[in-house]
Amino acid sequence: MHIRSLSLRQFRTYARLEMDFPPAPILLLGANAQGKTSLLEALAYLALGSSPLTHIDRQLLHWQAVASGMPFAQVKAVVVKKERTETLEIVLQLSQTTNGSPPRLFKRIRVNDRTVKRSELAGHLNVVLFLPEDVTLVGGPPADRRRHLDNLLSQVYPEYIEAQNSYTQTLSRCNALLRYLRDEGGDPAQLAPLEQVLAETGVTVSLYRRRVLAALSLHADQFYQKLTGGQAWLQLQYEPNFDPLAPPALDYQLGLLPQESPLPPVDVETLQEIFRTTLVKHRRRAIQRGVTGIGPQRDEMRFFSQEVDLGIFGSRGQQRSAVLALRLAELQWLQEETGETPVLLLDEVLAELDRDRRNYLLRLLDGVEQTILTTTDMEMFPAFFREKVLTFRVAGGIIRAVSSMSAPGD
Amino acid sequence: MKNVAIPPAVTRLIETFSELPGIGPKTASRLTFYHLRGKSELALSLAKELQNLVEKTRFCSICYNVTEEDPCPICSDESRDKKVLCVVAEPLDLLALERTEQYTGSYHVLHGALAPLEGIFAEDLRIKELEARLRKGGVEEVILATNPTSEGDYTAAYLLTRLKPLGVRITRLGRGLPMGGDLEYADAVTLTRALEARQEL
Ligand SMILES: [Zn+2]
Repeated sequence: MHIRSLSLRQFRTYARLEMDFPPAPILLLGANAQGKTSLLEALAYLALGSSPLTHIDRQLLHWQAVASGMPFAQVKAVVVKKERTETLEIVLQLSQTTNGSPPRLFKRIRVNDRTVKRSELAGHLNVVLFLPEDVTLVGGPPADRRRHLDNLLSQVYPEYIEAQNSYTQTLSRCNALLRYLRDEGGDPAQLAPLEQVLAETGVTVSLYRRRVLAALSLHADQFYQKLTGGQAWLQLQYEPNFDPLAPPALDYQLGLLPQESPLPPVDVETLQEIFRTTLVKHRRRAIQRGVTGIGPQRDEMRFFSQEVDLGIFGSRGQQRSAVLALRLAELQWLQEETGETPVLLLDEVLAELDRDRRNYLLRLLDGVEQTILTTTDMEMFPAFFREKVLTFRVAGGIIRAVSSMSAPGD
Repeated sequence: MKNVAIPPAVTRLIETFSELPGIGPKTASRLTFYHLRGKSELALSLAKELQNLVEKTRFCSICYNVTEEDPCPICSDESRDKKVLCVVAEPLDLLALERTEQYTGSYHVLHGALAPLEGIFAEDLRIKELEARLRKGGVEEVILATNPTSEGDYTAAYLLTRLKPLGVRITRLGRGLPMGGDLEYADAVTLTRALEARQEL
């Protein structure tokens, strides 16, 4: 798939932007803080329904949006796929309230001019976004890796988004109730209906994560071997905080390629029941601590190479290669899962890679329908790549074509 | 800093208005000045009606609906079926069911739904009173008519665990109601259909 056009109104640094995209590699050139990343963010926003850079939608509004008397932001794109062309749109509208309380932000998502729920956005636009800060993904906090996995799954499966949302909402209810039971007493049986929902949705979240990681691990290993000249292998290991199946160590024999764990003959309902009874069994401890200690909110995902956990012992170079391999694995997985090549968004990534890895990545782009890269420095790119890329200059939220392409408006 | 330009009667009323749900300081001032400049009859009748509300209404000692006489007209109505009990979260939900003119049983008002994030727990609802009512006997069916929202479903699921041991038939309003909607805004036809399509839990 590829983006044919993008329209922004009062989004981040862009007061207004109308831009047509050719189905070729696109390079956005400009100094820092001119709007390069915001453009990639806008596309990722349409793919995910939320920004990968902030969870506060209000920050996406142009800084003068309120002062100018137009307190809204709009992101709209036309996406061309094999079978059809679709229009995706998200509008954020700040509404003043009459009773003096702070204004509320309304968010409307539309697919082909029809208003939809966030979960219905899944599958319409797929992107793989690679940000410079992603190099800390391997060694950073586990929450970053979980969010990463969630973002990937949310692009494909509406049922994952719904299960994940319901799980998160029920978990915060459950924790509020646990604190109340600890501090004030009360009937612990109030936990039962919440535990039931946690079990139903938590098992769904867990099964999807297990499945995607098994596939990503196989792909990432192949890319990693190429990046290291066949010197090292990589495996991604899913470590569920609670595993109703076999302990994960049995699924992965050290030194061997990870195989998709053969599921023992248990059905989803049995797994839910195991999860539920475990929650019930741990009620007393949960009440004492005022928090649910079991479930996918504590899942971990680890990167192993040559029996070493790269998150703890990996060098910066190894961690970078591992993240690059993961991103490429995602690209391939999305392609297999949806039958379409996702749009690849690379933000200043080349600066993070050495020359060999840079060239390896740039040559791979031939197989991608559309890649949008940003850079501050043209010199970063080898001649073979400069010849085929279309360059646009970004300055102060205005974009102009550098090559002979028809100039986009501002 | 004390504001001497505005008399205390005015500032006190503004403060009182802003304690009401959904009313911020701006609206509170607007309401206050409206009454200051507007017709005095409206302000006085508002004062009297508020006084009546506080002094004359109370909760029915049987069903906990708001009433001026105890027991309430529904509980003391001989023609109402005392074997069927409809459990609702709020008095407004009861009103919606009465508008159908199809339901002839009696009620129990919980005064809320379980909402841990808003600090509403089982101990805050009239559940003990409901259990006591059922223990007295005479009730054969309890219809759980909480909203078709996640909070309403949660409340119904919890009530089921509490009431099941009492050996009455427990049903839940049918799924004709729009998910996530409120009972109090449902139209009479939809509500009647939901009542007819109630399912055993
Ligand atoms: Zn009554």
